Amino acid sequence: MSPRRSSPQPVSVQHAMTSADLTPVPSPERRGESMIDMHGVVKTFKSAAGEFTVLKGIDLTIYRGEFVSIVGKSGSGKSTLLNMITGIDHPTAGRVVIGGTDIYTGVTESQRSKWRGRNLGIVFQFFQLMPMLTLLENVMLPMDYAEMYDFDERPKRAMELLELVGLEKFANKLPVLVSTGQQQLAAIARALACDPPLLVADEPTGNLDTKSADVIIDLFEELSRRGKTIVMVTHDPSLTSRTTRNIIISDGELINETVAKALPWLRHRHMLEFSKLVQTEIYPPKATIISRDEHVEKFFMIHKGEVEVVLFDRKHGETIISRLKPGEFFGEIELIRGGKSIANVRAGANAPVEVLTIRREDFQRVMEQSPITAEALAKIVQERLKEHRAADSRSGRGLFSFFRRRP
Amino acid sequence: MNSNPSSQPIIELRDVVKVYSTAAGDFPALKGINLQVRAGEFLGIIGKSGAGKSTLLNMITGVDHLTEGEVLVHADGSSVSVHRMKEDEIAFWRGRTMGVVFQSFQLLPMLTLVENITLPMDLCGNFHPKRSRERALELLRLMEIEEHADKFPSLISGGQQQRVAIARALANDPPILIADEPTGSLDSVTADHIFELFQRLVEEQGKTIVMVTHDQSLAPRFSRTLRITDGELDQADLAEADLRSGGRRKK
Repeated sequence: MSPRRSSPQPVSVQHAMTSADLTPVPSPERRGESMIDMHGVVKTFKSAAGEFTVLKGIDLTIYRGEFVSIVGKSGSGKSTLLNMITGIDHPTAGRVVIGGTDIYTGVTESQRSKWRGRNLGIVFQFFQLMPMLTLLENVMLPMDYAEMYDFDERPKRAMELLELVGLEKFANKLPVLVSTGQQQLAAIARALACDPPLLVADEPTGNLDTKSADVIIDLFEELSRRGKTIVMVTHDPSLTSRTTRNIIISDGELINETVAKALPWLRHRHMLEFSKLVQTEIYPPKATIISRDEHVEKFFMIHKGEVEVVLFDRKHGETIISRLKPGEFFGEIELIRGGKSIANVRAGANAPVEVLTIRREDFQRVMEQSPITAEALAKIVQERLKEHRAADSRSGRGLFSFFRRRP
Repeated sequence: MNSNPSSQPIIELRDVVKVYSTAAGDFPALKGINLQVRAGEFLGIIGKSGAGKSTLLNMITGVDHLTEGEVLVHADGSSVSVHRMKEDEIAFWRGRTMGVVFQSFQLLPMLTLVENITLPMDLCGNFHPKRSRERALELLRLMEIEEHADKFPSLISGGQQQRVAIARALANDPPILIADEPTGSLDSVTADHIFELFQRLVEEQGKTIVMVTHDQSLAPRFSRTLRITDGELDQADLAEADLRSGGRRKK
C-alpha cells in the first residue's frame, strides 16, 4: 500500500490516477478504514418552479467491508445520495472522499469516469446488460473501458467472475436467454470486473422474485466477507435485516442510527425529529446515570458501551437485573408510567458509555403522535417490570413500596 | 439505406419450429411459422404473453437456436441463412444488420448516453472512433435527446432512456430494427412519442421494423399487423380484418 492512499489527507483524483497504487486491493485487513466520507453534502435542483434541496447537508462515514443498506421513502433523496457516491451527479456543496480520493475537487468528468471504472462497481434495478453481447462479453466490457488486465487475460477473468456468481454454464448465452435473476447476477459479475473495492447497488432486487433476491443478497454477504464494501439502496425492509448497517434518509437528512435502532416503530419524520433533538452524554465506567427513587426527566438510548440496571439492598448487596447494549434504551418506564426511578442505572464496568437523551416533553409529545411506538414500548415496560418484580422480591424489597410512593 | 419499400422480402421464415425441452416434457413455442417481411415494412406482431412473440424475434435475430426450418435475411446485398452461421460470424453479422430494442432499456449505467451509443460502433468497428461520437450525437438529435448527451442514464426518465436505447440500436445503421415490447414499461403519452419515432424511422430512413407487443390498440398503427396465438401466426392482416368487421382504422 502506498502511504498516500492510507494517509488521512484525501488525494485528488488526478493523484490517484497517477499513483502507482491504482489497482484497488480488496483487503479484509483494511476493514475499519473509512471507505466513503461525506462532509456537508448538499444537493439543490433548480427547476422552473424554483429551487429544491434534495440533500440538506449529509455527513456520513462508511467503513471498508461494511454491507450498508440505505432506505427511505420515495423522494427522500436516497438515489440522489447514491449518485453523489458514484459521481453520476454532482453535489451543490460539500465534499465526498472515497477510498482516500476527493472525487469532486478539481477533477474533470473524464478523469472521474476513469476513476469510477476502476474503483466502483454499480448495479441497478434494471439489468443493463448489452442485449447483443453474451454474458461473458458483457462482463469483459468494463475491462475494455478501464483498460485493465491484458487483452488475453480478460476472458479468463470474466469467466472466474461468472463462476463466482454461478453462471459459468451460461457464459456464451445472450441475456434474453437467461432468467431475470441470472441477468442481475451477470450484472453484478460485470460490476466486479475491475475488482473495485466498492460496490454500489440501487434497488438491485426490486425487479426480482423473493428467491432470486435471496441469491443476490447471499452473494453480497459473501462479497462483504471478502472485504468489499457494499452500499445498497432498497425499499424492502426484509433486506435491511441482512445488512451490517442500516441508514435511513428522510426528507434529505440522515436519521441518527441509534434512534432508528432503539425506536424502529417510529415514522421516519419522528425519527428525524428525535435525531435533531438528541443530546449526547458520556459516563465513565461504573458512573451512575440514574439513581433509584430519583425523578427521571429523560429518555436514554445507548449509543456506545453498556449499562447495568442494578438493585441494592442491605442483605444481599447488589443485584444486576440486566445489561443493556447499544441500540437499547432505558428511562421509558418512568416516563410512561410517571414517577421516580425503580432501579439504578450505571455505566458498564469496562468502558465509558455514550448515551443519547431526549427530554421528557419531547418524548411524550412524539409518543402521543405514534401510537404504534407507545404500544410497543408499553409491552416492553410490562416485560421489564416483570423481571424487575422478580428481582426486587429476591432482593427483599417489594415493588409495592415503590408504587405507594408514586406522586 | 433502403428507402424504397419493395415486394422483395428482407426477412423470410420458412416452417420455423421451436420446441423447448423441459422436465415436464417438450413444449412447442413455435409450430411452423412462415413469414415474409418486406423491406420498408413496419410489421407489428400482436399476441398474449406466452404466445411465442419473443421466441419468434429470437429466431430472427439468431439469439436462440431453432428446432426446424430456416430463417433467411436478404440485406445489404447479401442473403444469409441466419441459423447456418457460426457463433462468431452471427454476432458480427447481427451487429451490422439488426438493431434490437427491448422493454427494459439496458443502457450501461456507468457510461454517459453518448458513450452508450458509441459502444456498439466501437465493438463493430464500422465507424472510425472520431466519427463515432459525431454519429452518436446525430442519433441523439434524431431521437430528440441530444441535450442530455453527457448525462448518465439514471438521471433521465424511462422514456428518455428508451429513446437512447433506440439510438443505440441504430448506431451501426442496420437496415432492420427488431423491437420487443419497446413501450411496455412506459406511460401512454411517452409510449406514443416512442411509437412516432419508430414510424419516422420507417418513413424517413427506410428502415424495416418488426415489433412484437401485447397491446392490441397499436394494431392500426403498423403498416401490417399479424396475430400470434399458441405459436401459430394468423396470416390475415389484423388491422384490415378489423376494418372489415366495421372497426375504424386511424390514418
